[in-house]
Amino acid sequence: MKESETETTKPAAGASDRPTTAVTFAARIERAARGARVRAVLLDFLLVWYAVGGGLFWARWTFNGPAPPWERPESIGSSGHLVLAAVALVLALLWSRSRLSPGRMITWSTHPLLKADAPRPEGGWWRTVHGILVLAILAETVALGWKITEIDLVSLFSSEGLAGAGRIFGALFRPEFGILPLVLEKMIETIYIALVATVVAVPIAFLLSFFGAKNLMSGNRRSLAVYGAVRFSTNLMRSIEPVLWAIIFTVWVSFGPFAGMLALLVHSVASLVKLYSEQVESIDAGPVEAIEATGANRVQMVWYAVVPQIVLPYLGFTIYRWDINVRMATIIGLVGGGGVGELLMQYLGLAKYGEVGMIVVVITAVVWALDYASAKVREAIA
Amino acid sequence: MGFLKVEGLTKVYDNGVVALDNVSFTVERGEFLGVIGLSGSGKSTLLRCVNRLVEPSSGRVILDGIDVTALDVPSLRAERRRIGMVFQHFNLVKRKSVLVNVLTGSLARQGTIASVLGSFSAEDRAKAMQCLEIVGLADRARVRASELSGGQQQRVAIARSLMQGPDLLLADEPVASLDPATSHSVMDHLERANKELGQTILCNLHFLSLVRRYTTRVIALKGGELAFEGRPEEIDEDWFKRIYGEQAREVGIE
Ligand SMILES: Nc1ncnc2c1ncn2[C@@H]1O[C@H](COP(=O)(O)OP(=O)(O)O)[C@@H](O)[C@H]1O
Ligand SMILES: [Mg+2]
Repeated sequence: MKESETETTKPAAGASDRPTTAVTFAARIERAARGARVRAVLLDFLLVWYAVGGGLFWARWTFNGPAPPWERPESIGSSGHLVLAAVALVLALLWSRSRLSPGRMITWSTHPLLKADAPRPEGGWWRTVHGILVLAILAETVALGWKITEIDLVSLFSSEGLAGAGRIFGALFRPEFGILPLVLEKMIETIYIALVATVVAVPIAFLLSFFGAKNLMSGNRRSLAVYGAVRFSTNLMRSIEPVLWAIIFTVWVSFGPFAGMLALLVHSVASLVKLYSEQVESIDAGPVEAIEATGANRVQMVWYAVVPQIVLPYLGFTIYRWDINVRMATIIGLVGGGGVGELLMQYLGLAKYGEVGMIVVVITAVVWALDYASAKVREAIA
Repeated sequence: MGFLKVEGLTKVYDNGVVALDNVSFTVERGEFLGVIGLSGSGKSTLLRCVNRLVEPSSGRVILDGIDVTALDVPSLRAERRRIGMVFQHFNLVKRKSVLVNVLTGSLARQGTIASVLGSFSAEDRAKAMQCLEIVGLADRARVRASELSGGQQQRVAIARSLMQGPDLLLADEPVASLDPATSHSVMDHLERANKELGQTILCNLHFLSLVRRYTTRVIALKGGELAFEGRPEEIDEDWFKRIYGEQAREVGIE
């Protein structure tokens, strides 16, 4: 007697007594298909552009061929690029005429209304000429990757290289214990940088996370706009690495632990908002509806129906974040954000590998210990 | 005349499903109206359109002379205080105590800050305990809601609704996830709310035996359209097949 989610829907098109709904539904599919065709051409264009441009690059390197258009001085920023883009666009337009082009496959099979209509070639799409072309582009990517990252197995295993490796490893295994008090002092600074950043980030992210949860904000246009703004800005902040934030803040507030703390704070808020919001989005909607149905306001609803469902996962995420922050705090020191990383950078500059070894040992021990502790705590609350 | 008037109610979901198609009916004060129909016939959608948990596509819902479908958000909130709701899956806040769950029925009367701080008046707490006594769970007040059985959870949900004190109660298959004995105890509580407190009730039900035992009038939905309206005893074999399809056979609940 349980109600099932997959109940039969009404055949909208066949219901002649209900012309208005049938028409609007067909019209919506038509509109969706129009938009999807444009996106498909765009995707195909990007793919072809990449494939042709990358192919020229690779050919030049491998066969010492003619320079690709963008490297010819006379064509920089002008005709060479345009010709390449135009060729790619023409090819993409041709390719997108087929319902099996990669752009069309992607847009159709990911659109909720068009999904059912996406073609499914027998024997799989990868067996069609379109799939084989995409596989060829993947192969091209591997070839380009080999060139671009300058993979060089000789220097990795030459005797000269191995001697260098021996020098640094040897020093790391003979740490200079004389500087241990200094290292510990700086390590404490690092831990506090992570701690303050985490503690300040949590309440900020907690508040923002409700505004970044789609299920709570899809009520009207205005709240959806707030949701979009929160998600967009935190995504942007998160996509800037903590090291970059540290560089920004060392310019802003000058070198030292404060800059490092701010960098971690910004990145932590952004990351926690994402994790927290996703948690809010996955809650059971039942209590939310029940509390809403009593006439309670939004704040009461969030406090009574949402918060009880998220506190435990939030705790887990927070401990996890604190973990990451301790690790990041050492890295941030390398660019001037204070703490033990700064010390590491100084000794590296002086090529004092024994001291470097000491610092690495302390960092490893502390990170390992905190890792272990937070895993235990997370286990306990799960 | 007509405590609740539903006029031309239509709901088309975003995916194109027509869940309700031009449904009209009237409910008088004090009635216990059963709503029946196959799974997917639109029963839940109908109840949810009445308190606008689901936004109707067109049509009107008029409660005691007030057009609920025309209200702005603050007025809708105020109006919802008069409309209680009980759900198939109880929808309690599982990590909170039974007492707090009952108290949430009174949130709309509380100040925002006071309720966030959890400071309910002694009077409200006493009333919540009374509501729990009515459903026979006063001794479980301090227990987490998640620790109760299904039938007990549904009784807490009814206590929450008693705390709210609505004029109209929407019950969406309140016993569909309960066993037969528990079902009757829950339905008896709804019957008391109807008879003793004068609450008008709209109740989605799966079993015709429950419909005959508890409701004063029935409507049936079929594919989103109103297929029957009348007294429970009027549903003979013929109507039954028309509502549930030729293949259907009635099963009972004792
Ligand atoms: N949120 C929703 N989005 C899209 N379709 C829905 C939604 N809720 C219900 N439906 C569809 O509307 C129809 C009526 O559903 P419902 O009102 O739950 O019926 P019942 O309660 O009688 O089982 C069904 O076809 C169902 O699949
Ligand atoms: Mg239902």
